[in-house]
Amino acid sequence: MEVFPGVAHRILIIDDEDDIREVAALSLESVAGWEVVTANSGAQGLARAVEFRPDAILLDVMMPGMDGPTTFRELRKNPATARIPVLLLTAKVQSTDQRRFADLGVEAVLFKPFDPLTLSSQIAGVLGWN
Amino acid sequence: MDPIDQNALTEAINRLWAQFLPQMRGRVDTLETAAAAFAANKLSSAQQVQANDAAHKLAGALGSFGLTKGTVLARELEIMYSRESGPDSALAARLGQIAAELRTLIENRK
Repeated sequence: MEVFPGVAHRILIIDDEDDIREVAALSLESVAGWEVVTANSGAQGLARAVEFRPDAILLDVMMPGMDGPTTFRELRKNPATARIPVLLLTAKVQSTDQRRFADLGVEAVLFKPFDPLTLSSQIAGVLGWN
Repeated sequence: MDPIDQNALTEAINRLWAQFLPQMRGRVDTLETAAAAFAANKLSSAQQVQANDAAHKLAGALGSFGLTKGTVLARELEIMYSRESGPDSALAARLGQIAAELRTLIENRK
């Protein structure tokens, strides 16, 4: 198991599914020791991003109301959140979906289900935090 | 929270599994109901959407709780229910079979 001692990154998880949100938060807090804040909708995520100023955002794609891609575009419009790296999290595995998500301009697309033991190292690898 | 070891993480995930088991069961309930409705030629479009949603959520979650096979099965159902015209009629028995397999996997997770 990889641990990142002394680097307490701040992560915002935006996902409407509470089981996913809880497992991801547990994983990032306990494996990597990162500080995690969660939001259960795109709208709540936009507000939390401004308040919390995370180092990165883990953003679910399929959410009722404001979906992930729309939330991402709103984050980019706001100068306060425009430069925060965003990683999409999706259970869609079809290549057409993957291309569409990658074209949005996010840092990376990660897939559900994730391994709670390695989620933080995946994120760290993408963002060059290793 | 301070970093913890793998055993402690496994225990914490098991606690989350217990917390969310009723939700997982509810999703399988939805899949069983849809499979029965489809077999009786009575699957409504609303039921199809609900089944697709339940399968999608199970596919995304089960693997994170160690049930990789559950993710594979749920993904198979998601593909079947996501067809605009509904599942292929030749696959009616398969819909019920997968739902039953998911039930067994969920109930037997250690």
